[in-house]
Amino acid sequence: MSAERPQLDTRVLIVTPENIAFEYRLAGPFQRLPAYLVDLVLRTLALTVIAVAVVLATGGAGMIGLGMAGWLALWFVSDWLYGGLFEALWNGQTPGKRLFRLRVLSAEGQPINAMQAVLRNVLRAVDAQPVLPLSTEFATGFHLIGLVAAAASGRFQRLGDLAAGTMVVVEQPQRAPDLVRMDNQLVVNLASRLPADFVASRSLTRTLAAYVQRRRQIPPRRLAEIALHVGEPLRVRLGLPRGMSHDLLLCALYFKTFFGTASEPLASSPFVSNGSSGETLAGVGREAP
Amino acid sequence: MKVAELLEQRRANWRELEELCRLMEHRTKRALGPAKVLRFAALYRGACADLALADAYQLPPNTVRYLHQLVGRAHNQLYPSRGFQVRRWGEELLFELPQRLFRDGCLRLAFLLFWGVFGLTALLAGSRRDLAEALLGEEQMQLMEQMYETPPESQSVNERAFMLGFYIRHNPSIGLQCFASGLLLGIGGLPTLISNAAVLGATFGYMATVPQRDNFYTFVTAHGPFELTAVVLAAAAGMRMGFSLIQTNGWTRLASLRRSMHEAVPMVSLAVLLFGLAAFIEAFISPAPIPYAAKAAVAVISSGMLLFYFVLLGQPRGESHAAR
Repeated sequence: MSAERPQLDTRVLIVTPENIAFEYRLAGPFQRLPAYLVDLVLRTLALTVIAVAVVLATGGAGMIGLGMAGWLALWFVSDWLYGGLFEALWNGQTPGKRLFRLRVLSAEGQPINAMQAVLRNVLRAVDAQPVLPLSTEFATGFHLIGLVAAAASGRFQRLGDLAAGTMVVVEQPQRAPDLVRMDNQLVVNLASRLPADFVASRSLTRTLAAYVQRRRQIPPRRLAEIALHVGEPLRVRLGLPRGMSHDLLLCALYFKTFFGTASEPLASSPFVSNGSSGETLAGVGREAP
Repeated sequence: MKVAELLEQRRANWRELEELCRLMEHRTKRALGPAKVLRFAALYRGACADLALADAYQLPPNTVRYLHQLVGRAHNQLYPSRGFQVRRWGEELLFELPQRLFRDGCLRLAFLLFWGVFGLTALLAGSRRDLAEALLGEEQMQLMEQMYETPPESQSVNERAFMLGFYIRHNPSIGLQCFASGLLLGIGGLPTLISNAAVLGATFGYMATVPQRDNFYTFVTAHGPFELTAVVLAAAAGMRMGFSLIQTNGWTRLASLRRSMHEAVPMVSLAVLLFGLAAFIEAFISPAPIPYAAKAAVAVISSGMLLFYFVLLGQPRGESHAAR
């Protein structure tokens, strides 16, 4: 519990025994629904296939009762232990969760143990309420109790999760992101004219990186408006002429901070993400001094 | 060092860690070989260090987000779930669980409730037919009379095996449902417990008054002890879980609930085990055309086993257990 910090949104901070802090993204109820449905379909299909196989295999031999006994026992296991068995043996994942890259972890971010895995799935019987019986053997759970509990708890935990002390996180593998390339000649020129002793603060560096990452998705005039707030004080401080493009200035600062001076051979840099990014700065050029 | 250079240096390591994560998600560590596992650990530490120093390195936000994801993914491969510790179960089942059950207030309450309602309804249904009709319904009563019209016939092994499967699927489900409903403040399982007790009690009482009573009692005697104890136990486990939300012993409600799980889960597991045993007896011994004395002997032996388990194994032993 010591690892719990104030949690702003769906990201939870985990502090590992190695004293490393990292974040997990929580999976909300509707992110988990597809995984549940996939598991449901898989279970139903598997039971159907096994039933046919059992009838074919044991029917001819006159042992159908024995076969059906095994099949009914399997049905019981599938109803109550499917999730628990998979989550305990597959490190917190069922086939459905694996498909959708979800994983069950303990609320402290550690792997779950078998008891937690089985418990959270047995207690689904409560979370699934209200249950509409379709026939004597089949029923559909609407999971309204689970939904309300997930909405009320900070970590989207249904009652089974709360009792077992677990949470479900998203584990979306990403590619290592590339730095945005900046090879427009105007930017390179301006970067080389900036004072050599100017070192961007940490917060300014973060701001520059975030700005450059997103600037291509923002229309030019909105971009100018956004760049104004950071760009104008910087322009004054660096003693640059009035009326220059703030976007250009921010790009030059970004270039200087992340790539160094223009003397470095940029073309051979492996961080170049795509070759055609140069012309996105074309609009900036007209206003440049 | 410029950020771009740093990223260039690290990227290869991150990619390699990604690849190893992908391998570990699909294979066991043994199949991967010790060299790769060692390499994985080194790369994981490296990624952790990069993440810890991300601010000092001035890494851009999307790289930081990527590192969070990468470290989380590797962490999950480094510390996987432990699976089932079957060896622990024997000790828990034979030594620790009966000790706790012996002192368990919830078990006593569930026991009293079940057998109180059972006895009451058996008396009522046995004494007056209209009361039995109110409790069971006319249809159910006729069905029972028809079912036990003839003594248990010599069924084939096949038919009995099918019934075994039916009991295994059906009975523990009721117990688990009753247990899970207990989460609702401990009283959620009571309707299931009481209605089961009432229906069973009324059936027992009513069947004593009809001519089919010998056939009925011949059938239910053998598996009764295990099955009825299992129902009580499942309900008691649900109560233990739900009441922990009310009596917290100074813990927060959630922490109290989680602590109670260590007691409730073994209880409900025992209940499922008893349901399983009862299913075997119900399928193979109860309908068998053997003398009533043999079936009664099964009931006596199983009751004796239960007494041994709950009373003798449960007897408080020594200081160390009393101190807990």
